Amino acid sequence: MGEQLEQRESFALMHQMGLNDGAIERRKQVVALEHSDLARIARIRDLVLPRVDEFTAAFFEHLAKFDEARPLFDNRALLEKAKRLKAEHLQGLVSGDYSRHYVAQRIELGRLYAVAGLEMRFFLGAFHQLLRFIGNEVMTHSEHAPLEAFDAFMSLKKVAFFDLGLIVDVLVFERERIIRQQQEAIRELSTPVLQLRDRLLLLPIIGVIDTYRARLITENLLEAVRARRAKVVVMDVTGVATIDSRVANHILQTVTAARLMGARVIVTGITAAVAQSLVALGIELDRLLDTVGDLQGGIELAEQILGYRVSQGNASESRANATS
Amino acid sequence: MSVPILKQGDVLIASIQSALSDQDLVQLRDDFAEKIGRLRTRGVVIDVTALDVLDSFATRTLRGIAYIAKLRGAQTVVVGIQPEVAFAMVQLGLSLDGIATALDLEEGLAHLGDTANGSAGDGG
Repeated sequence: MGEQLEQRESFALMHQMGLNDGAIERRKQVVALEHSDLARIARIRDLVLPRVDEFTAAFFEHLAKFDEARPLFDNRALLEKAKRLKAEHLQGLVSGDYSRHYVAQRIELGRLYAVAGLEMRFFLGAFHQLLRFIGNEVMTHSEHAPLEAFDAFMSLKKVAFFDLGLIVDVLVFERERIIRQQQEAIRELSTPVLQLRDRLLLLPIIGVIDTYRARLITENLLEAVRARRAKVVVMDVTGVATIDSRVANHILQTVTAARLMGARVIVTGITAAVAQSLVALGIELDRLLDTVGDLQGGIELAEQILGYRVSQGNASESRANATS
Repeated sequence: MSVPILKQGDVLIASIQSALSDQDLVQLRDDFAEKIGRLRTRGVVIDVTALDVLDSFATRTLRGIAYIAKLRGAQTVVVGIQPEVAFAMVQLGLSLDGIATALDLEEGLAHLGDTANGSAGDGG
């Protein structure tokens, strides 16, 4: 049951990585794996198959030498599974059939390495060790035709590099998954439209503005302008790390759209670094929109436009009023 | 379908109720051009609340009306642009530069009142 689930996940990952039949064939071309190779591999199959367990042991023995691979060895269940998958790998390596099923097995093993946090270089070292053992085995049994044996081993090596490509890609893909998730999280950050006073809205923008998010922001703002009958909107971009021409254009579009609905937008929080880069890029935002240095200034201007007068009450006076 | 132009004090109000052909738009512009001078108009309010699209010709005509009004001493406010319409206009690069906009008719009239008071204040 669990195994089936694992397999399904491997197939799902294959799909995400775009590993369809065409891509698999392409990868075979990349390592120049041809039909003649399959015949050569078939010739050494009987040398490798009886010693699969031995080779597997050698692979893990080599890995065990390194502290960095400890997480894999500390987890018994994971290690058992890795050993089983490795043995399966070796059987598959000489089987001559390197289609979807074989690729799925490689992906599963790659995922296991990713879970165990096994760094690529340790895996590479152990894998090379494994190939060396196989090579020795093949050569010692082919004293009479060393050249043929070498050819057969080189054919096997093509498959090995085909495997390496897959494992490396899985490890990289899994690592990038975290980056993708974080990007997703930043993008999904909600953009609240807050009401500060009657007819005054605050729109704080934090994170990355891309086309999709710019659209969301604009739609949210326009709906809020209509629903709350806003006259002035203070858009604070302090939390936007970089503003390039595309982001500037997005901001400009949002401001223009709000203006069409009769709301005036004040942009605040353009930091020194951002201002510098805008000047360097030759983007002139100030001609097209109202900018104020910081959020406080923006809100003060907005209140002025709306006719609010904020006065600071005398603290001691109000305290006296409260006690009397 | 032609659009009726209503007179409210010294303000002219046109409320567009359905999609207009290009010819209707031109007709509206000509009507305004004639009435603004004749009725000693101070402000023009064009209500587009009912429209779910404003194309390039419509925006150009609105700009034309605003310019004509200005030449004849009146201020123009376009009111009631819907969020979707505003977004689409921005996407298409259509603008109403130089024309005041407001949320709805009430706001538009208030805007005209504000500017009138402002200029009166300036004069005094």
